[in-house]
Amino acid sequence: MSHFAYLGALLVGMTSMLLIDYRFRLFFWRDAASAALVAVAGTVFLLLWDAAGIAGGIFIRGTSEAMLGIDIAPQMPLEEPFFLMFLVLCTMILYTGAEGVLRHYRERGDL
Amino acid sequence: MKYALLSLAFLLLAVGLSLILRRASMKARGAQTDTAPTSTAWRGTVRIAGVNEGAVLIASAALLVLTAVFDSLMIASNLFTYSESLISGIRVGLAPIEDFAYPVAMVILLPALWVFLRSQPAISVRLLLKHAFVVSRPVSWINTAFPFAAGYLMSTREVDWILVVGTLYYLVPYNLAMYGINDVFDYESDINNPRKGGLEGALLPPSYHQPMLWLCWWSNVPFLVILLAVGSPLSVLAFAISTFAVIAYSAPILRFKERPFLDSLTSSTHFVSPALVGMTVAGAQLDASVAVLLLSFFCWGIAAHAFGAVQDIGPDREAGIGSVATVVGARKTVVFSLVMWGVAGLLMLSTPWPGPLAAVLALPYLINCAPYLRVTDETAATTNAAWRRFIWLNYASGFLVTLLLILEWTTRSS
Repeated sequence: MSHFAYLGALLVGMTSMLLIDYRFRLFFWRDAASAALVAVAGTVFLLLWDAAGIAGGIFIRGTSEAMLGIDIAPQMPLEEPFFLMFLVLCTMILYTGAEGVLRHYRERGDL
Repeated sequence: MKYALLSLAFLLLAVGLSLILRRASMKARGAQTDTAPTSTAWRGTVRIAGVNEGAVLIASAALLVLTAVFDSLMIASNLFTYSESLISGIRVGLAPIEDFAYPVAMVILLPALWVFLRSQPAISVRLLLKHAFVVSRPVSWINTAFPFAAGYLMSTREVDWILVVGTLYYLVPYNLAMYGINDVFDYESDINNPRKGGLEGALLPPSYHQPMLWLCWWSNVPFLVILLAVGSPLSVLAFAISTFAVIAYSAPILRFKERPFLDSLTSSTHFVSPALVGMTVAGAQLDASVAVLLLSFFCWGIAAHAFGAVQDIGPDREAGIGSVATVVGARKTVVFSLVMWGVAGLLMLSTPWPGPLAAVLALPYLINCAPYLRVTDETAATTNAAWRRFIWLNYASGFLVTLLLILEWTTRSS
């Protein structure tokens, strides 16, 4: 079970992000198709970055017991793409959320 | 310092892409301002059409704090480490300073992409993706993914990440590029072809042409970068041939699809080159028996393309598009296809066991095509019935080829 800790935490994190998205209609719940493209593009961009780092010998897979131990590429655990997706989701929820908050205050200032 | 340089390179890439996207959004907004009347609806769209810099700053600040905290936790939990000699050694908590480039790049790039996608007045991203799905010909995805996967797997004899990435590439992005470029530049003739708009081809509205080419480009580039990076000089050459064939077939000026015989050769390359790429990326030895096998597959592809062109003689001539069939005529093209399928079968007879069994697979194609030996240019459209059978015949052949590959696999390993 402890092997699932990291992936589990990432999935809980992503679910939480999506719940915030659903509640405030920020990203996927505002424009699902555009959000999907942004999410895929961001994840692929970061995967390329990771791949370059692994190829250059910079990143080394850890030995933590909190991972499933499944590698999808040399030095890249199965959990890594989920982490990158989480980072993408986190970025866009923060951006669209901040945008909404700023708009809210600006509109209230106008009144 | 290597990590610092890598991070800087990707950060600059993100900044560059972000600037391009911001410019493109501004242009779209400008075009909208010129045409749209001053209404609340218009003002509503304009409000979402720029990147909100304040929001970027707030998101950046939050992400930097989150990164400092969670990166430290992740490193403390030993989820990953770094080669000490390759990093600068400057750390915030446990997080190397270079790691902060990841969230910074995201917050620079993603809002710009999001705004760009939402600022296109003439297109809906949902429809673009829907068109992209149809344009990529889902029933044909397997036709390019299978040769790659089979070529790679039969060479390495194990499933690894390159197999997965390459198969995904030849399953969707490759087909999107091949048929996307085709559909954009064939629009003029396709609007006159009753066959288009369904299983055998999509009809793409002009406002989606530019976005579709853009989608083709960006869905292909990341995969090409990876597959070129892991390859050998030989696989890079195979890749170059494959990519050139995809573009040259229907892109303006080259337009190989309008050059008789070159059209069939290029079309066959579309299906054979993934197998060649798979084998060369896997580092396989290309001996005589492999060459004969690929040549047989190549003849099969030439026959398939030439026969497929017969049904389009009418619309193609009307649109002034040349093909092997419009130039040499329906009957001669059918004869040519039969010969090529026959040669493909005969070539398989000279391959090592169980290769000769595959020679039998030429027969259904010959039987399917032979009744049209008497076809004329006027009745060319009737070959569509055989073409429809051909599409499903490929699934049956693919199944049998798979069985043969399994047979070969078990005889070789025992």
